[in-house]
Amino acid sequence: MSKAPLISARHVTKTYTTGAAKNAAKVTALTSVSLDFQAGEFSAIAGPSGSGKSTLLNIIGTLDAPNSGEVLYEGRQVSHLPPPEAADFRLRSLGFIFQAYNLIPVLTAVENVEYPLVLQGVSAAQRRARALEVMGWVGLETMANRRPNLLSGGQQQRVAVARSIVHRPMVVLADEPTANLDSKTAASLLDLMESLNQERNITFVFSSHDPAVLSRARRVIHLHDGKLAQS
Amino acid sequence: MLRLAWRNVCRNLRRSLITVASMACGLAAIMFGQSMIKSVQRQLIEKATDSITGHLQVQNRSIKEYKFPDKYIEDPAPVEAALARQAGVRAFGKRINVTGLVSSPAGSVGAMICAVEPEKEKLITTMASYINRGRYLGGAEHEAVLGDKIAQRLDLRLGEKVVVMAQADDGSMGAEAFRVVGIYHTGSTTFDGQFIYVPLAGGQALLATGRKVNQIVVRLDDIGLAERVRAELTEKLGNRPVQVLRWFDIDHEIVAIQTFQNAILDIVLLIVFAIVALGILNTLLMSLFERVREFGVLMAIGARPRWVMKLVLAESVILGLVGTVLGLGAGCLLITYYGKAGLHLAVGDALSYFLPFPSVIYLRFAWMSHWRALAAVLVVSILAALPPALRACRLNPSQALRHV
Repeated sequence: MSKAPLISARHVTKTYTTGAAKNAAKVTALTSVSLDFQAGEFSAIAGPSGSGKSTLLNIIGTLDAPNSGEVLYEGRQVSHLPPPEAADFRLRSLGFIFQAYNLIPVLTAVENVEYPLVLQGVSAAQRRARALEVMGWVGLETMANRRPNLLSGGQQQRVAVARSIVHRPMVVLADEPTANLDSKTAASLLDLMESLNQERNITFVFSSHDPAVLSRARRVIHLHDGKLAQS
Repeated sequence: MLRLAWRNVCRNLRRSLITVASMACGLAAIMFGQSMIKSVQRQLIEKATDSITGHLQVQNRSIKEYKFPDKYIEDPAPVEAALARQAGVRAFGKRINVTGLVSSPAGSVGAMICAVEPEKEKLITTMASYINRGRYLGGAEHEAVLGDKIAQRLDLRLGEKVVVMAQADDGSMGAEAFRVVGIYHTGSTTFDGQFIYVPLAGGQALLATGRKVNQIVVRLDDIGLAERVRAELTEKLGNRPVQVLRWFDIDHEIVAIQTFQNAILDIVLLIVFAIVALGILNTLLMSLFERVREFGVLMAIGARPRWVMKLVLAESVILGLVGTVLGLGAGCLLITYYGKAGLHLAVGDALSYFLPFPSVIYLRFAWMSHWRALAAVLVVSILAALPPALRACRLNPSQALRHV
């Protein structure tokens, strides 16, 4: 019997209501999307703006729920968990990287990195040691005590990468992680993500519309108007 | 969480300081107001009980108007015996209080004639300490001390005689001559202009009451014992035609003043709390709107909604604690300063018409009230944080992450 995929999306459909109640309009962001991701993948979701990439990543990341369909992790349905259980699932199993870095500005780099471990209740000494270890992986051990506003965009995104992997998640979901970076910094970040994938077997699923970024993925899933175009 | 909450509070330092300052000022103002009102109330009670009322009085059971007892205790001896054995009683003395007429060759004035046991009275009230000419009553039966305003109106000097007239117990008009041995000044229009003190024996002779008196005034070791001692005495004197009254049964207008002042204090308290609550609510709501995306990030990396709610509440508790500590400090400084320097209050002048009441009040701490205010400020700071906290914990992570 073959092992269940790491992530399975089954007929995922998502519709948004926009505008005020009187003039409300329904926008379909995803239409019956089904796809699987295996552990160890370094995959990209591609598509133009408005194609549903972020919506799909949000649903896979349990940040949003589909109107119909479901998402399974290793066969366990997670797409309709109550908010506290979904938070617990994300805390244990998922890592996120956002386009705008989204670090907590009042915390230092290392405090940002260790925050998932704070939420997990890991002891201060253990989490600090682990956070510094991971900051070493992303080449920022000397910047550990700097606040985000004293870091460049590329450095902030590296901190975000460290935060996304510090708690050893099943998968890291990255929504346009290079969109705010120049091409050189973007390439450097992709090098980092790729090396983490290959050397530490961390699964990455990221979205982008940049052909240069997509060329680095070993598998590219194309979305168009909320539908799966090709894989 | 506390570290993050503290840093969030410090993030917009000016806004947090304004919030904390408004709480601190509000609390300090409340403490000052509480101290001022409670000090006036305490002073009022002290002056009333020290000047005339005492802590307890035993009167004839059929008397309804306690301030002007119009009936006598026929046999005071058993009452005195009971009082002598009663724990908590520091001193007691018999009195006759009646209205009458005081005359001199220069004229006549209506007056409250207070016939007292001089040596015992000195242990019960402080009237002897107000004598500024001559001396207090001694052992002689026909001596009198009176206020300087009566003396002035009747053109009386020390050593001169004054005739006191009042309706005797048998209905006849009694008249006795007393020699002025002392003149006092309390600063109270009523006491200085309407009271004359004579020895009990002289008063009994004037009114032909024999051994009868219309009050036995009691001073306790502590005013707080009034309720208990009254209950015990009432039980012991159950078969006697007397009643034991607490100071506030007699000076019920003081209780009315207290009730009125406390009601005003409560209203002021409510207004200050509303201001504090709105300040915190405003600060936290502004902070929430600025940080919606951050809450989204925290939820995305695994913070439970309840955790986010606790974070917002923790920020409010920090604001509340800092504001409370600063307010407590400022309030203590104000009260300590005016406890030493004194505070001139117009109400003192007004009250001194009725009682020997100082126009300068020395503030004292009213911790029972202060603790209530402190707790209320803290509770208000938490309650005011509930709407933004609930709002934060209901955020949808994906929508929050898109917030600009």
